[in-house]
Amino acid sequence: MTALPRPFRFAVADMGDDAGTARRGMVRLDRQDWWALALYALAFAAAHRVSHLWSGSGFYSLWFPAAGLRLALMWRMGARLTPWIAVVEVLDNVVLGFVSLDRAGGVMTIWGIIRPVFAYGLTVAGIRWLAGRRHGTLLSAPMPFGLAATLAPLAGAALAVPQALYNPELTGVTNMREVIVSLSAFVVGDLLGTLFVAPPLLWLADLAQGRGRQRRPAPSLAVLAEALGVLALGLGLSRLLTAGGLGVQPAPVLVAVAWIGLRFGRAAAWGALLIIVLIVLPDTAGAMATPERLQYHLALATIVVAGYLAGSFADAQASARATLERRDRLLFQAERLKTLRAMSVAVIHEASQPLSTLAIEARHLRHLTADLGGDLGGEIAQSAALIDRKADHLATMIRRLRRFGGHAADRPQPVAIAALIDMVAPLARAEARDAGVALEIAPATPDAFVLAQEVELAQAVMNLVRNAVQAARDLSPAPPVTLSADVAQDRAILSVTNRAAASHAPKDGGMGVGTFIARAIVEAHGGTLSRTRLADGMVLATLSLPLVEPR
Amino acid sequence: MTHPLPDPGPDLAGAVVHVVDDDPDLGAAIARMLARQGFVTRAFGDPVDLLGRYPAMPAHAVVSDVMMGDLDGFGFADRLRALDPHVAILFITAWPTTAHAVDAVRRHGGLDYLEKPIDEARLNASLREGIAWSRERRAAAARLAELSPRERQVFDLLVQGHGNKAVAGLLGLSPKTIEDHRAAVFAKTRTQSVAQLIALSR
Repeated sequence: MTALPRPFRFAVADMGDDAGTARRGMVRLDRQDWWALALYALAFAAAHRVSHLWSGSGFYSLWFPAAGLRLALMWRMGARLTPWIAVVEVLDNVVLGFVSLDRAGGVMTIWGIIRPVFAYGLTVAGIRWLAGRRHGTLLSAPMPFGLAATLAPLAGAALAVPQALYNPELTGVTNMREVIVSLSAFVVGDLLGTLFVAPPLLWLADLAQGRGRQRRPAPSLAVLAEALGVLALGLGLSRLLTAGGLGVQPAPVLVAVAWIGLRFGRAAAWGALLIIVLIVLPDTAGAMATPERLQYHLALATIVVAGYLAGSFADAQASARATLERRDRLLFQAERLKTLRAMSVAVIHEASQPLSTLAIEARHLRHLTADLGGDLGGEIAQSAALIDRKADHLATMIRRLRRFGGHAADRPQPVAIAALIDMVAPLARAEARDAGVALEIAPATPDAFVLAQEVELAQAVMNLVRNAVQAARDLSPAPPVTLSADVAQDRAILSVTNRAAASHAPKDGGMGVGTFIARAIVEAHGGTLSRTRLADGMVLATLSLPLVEPR
Repeated sequence: MTHPLPDPGPDLAGAVVHVVDDDPDLGAAIARMLARQGFVTRAFGDPVDLLGRYPAMPAHAVVSDVMMGDLDGFGFADRLRALDPHVAILFITAWPTTAHAVDAVRRHGGLDYLEKPIDEARLNASLREGIAWSRERRAAAARLAELSPRERQVFDLLVQGHGNKAVAGLLGLSPKTIEDHRAAVFAKTRTQSVAQLIALSR
């Protein structure tokens, strides 16, 4: 992934859940990076050692969990760590004595170690880039990860092809057949690692950081029975075919895991695959002829890829469905708001009619009674004055409210930025107070006007403030949020500033819809909305609108 | 045509103002409020009723609601204007829109367009302006009414910018006769110049 200079700017729509972590610098490592790399060094060494049990000539292992660790780390912390991961792997290999650098070809040995690391880094960066740009079934979460887990091992093998062809003696392979065996073994070992080890690691990391998606309900007995039944059937059929002298026959199991994945999603698919792996791996560890072991593991890899992708696809479908449902709810909400607005406008108008009479009569009564003498007279005068004042207050309020409901359907008109801030201020202050967040509203320049539908624009500003307040609320102690308005050349600039955690994902069901709406409103007004993360952890949401002359 | 309308004093006291609103309470409240300002007022709940009785009781100004039952304020204003071109019309409404406000003034000859609840000071100011305008128009019309048909012909040609000779030629009269008519026009309209005549004709 490309390293972006800081402070970097990015569009609001790009604020995926990993944007915060993935977009830190490539060269400078923060404390979290150091911890992750240190942990990786230990885990990589252990995984590397374990995988030796499934090794063979011309390749390292047919079951390489370390690949899963590597993918998980890159997926989580960003491909920017690639060079550092390469360094860790080289150090691990040297320190643990898996390779020795004394003999000739030390450079090639190191290249052999870091080559897959870079292949993984490129794959992760490429898929992240694609997923950030396009939206389709194949690229909606969690499909990108499934694709990365499948493609990274293939990329690793592809990068190894030149050396295997032109410099085969380094890996100890002598002919074409062995090259093919070596590369397939590499792919199989890595695939099993990425698809098996990375998903639960990422899941655990999410859980540890409290970023887990909403908890799924525990599977019902019927689901469990169906999944286990299908799996048992697949395994049984497979055994039957083998017993019938047909060799290793993965097809029934493949169909079974694909079924489970499509029906119940990634987690279920992964569970089924775990059972299969636990059955197969002990059998193939240790003494077993390489071709036979390779055959087993190729079959296993096929099953794992199919099962995991099926599960990912089902999850992506489910999340797409959820998005649609959410959109439906929003539409429904919008319809309701429209009705509500029409109703409130009607109420305002209906109220203004009797209020007109009341206001006139109250004023008259006040004048009539103003000079009344005596205790009773004074009291009557006081009451009349009070009634007049209240009627007047009510009349002012009705006029102001009418501006809210009535003109929204009209054409946009010049709105003073200061008036806009005045409109937002009481609402925003109330929300900030409820959230325990301090809100500072800077005084606005009085003579800046923009062409706007006042209520909608107020809504957009309100949404930005609300987002900032929510982000601030999740920190402890809650930092203040600032709302300010400035003029830069021929544009009015409204800014909302707050300090936010590096990876702030909206809580309580908020999916950034507020920002979405704000952006739609601002763009309809011929303005732009941008969000900037400053180097010191501050987030600056800037709303820019063209200035107009007041009519 | 219509009954004569008493000329209000310099402070416009005694000017006649009708109020039309299909909410009789509000109509009466506004009428009484205006009466307290010294106007002679009367409230009507139905614009058609007012149109029927208007020739017998003309007014300097009419304050009319916009949204009313069968006949809305704008339709009412058009018919009222046909009855009396010199009445000032003010609109009041509980459903103000920009489009209506523009139409009220440009197409229906309204002098102002006020939203409810009514701003008393503004209504008062607009009303005074309207009454003053109406009084002027009526006075001009009254002076022109004294002219004989021939004098009226001469007046019309003079305000179009024709000189004595041209008027004489157009009417087939001698310039001397035109001179006489012209003097009569100045005397009856209490004016001294053609410029003042033009002001009167507007």
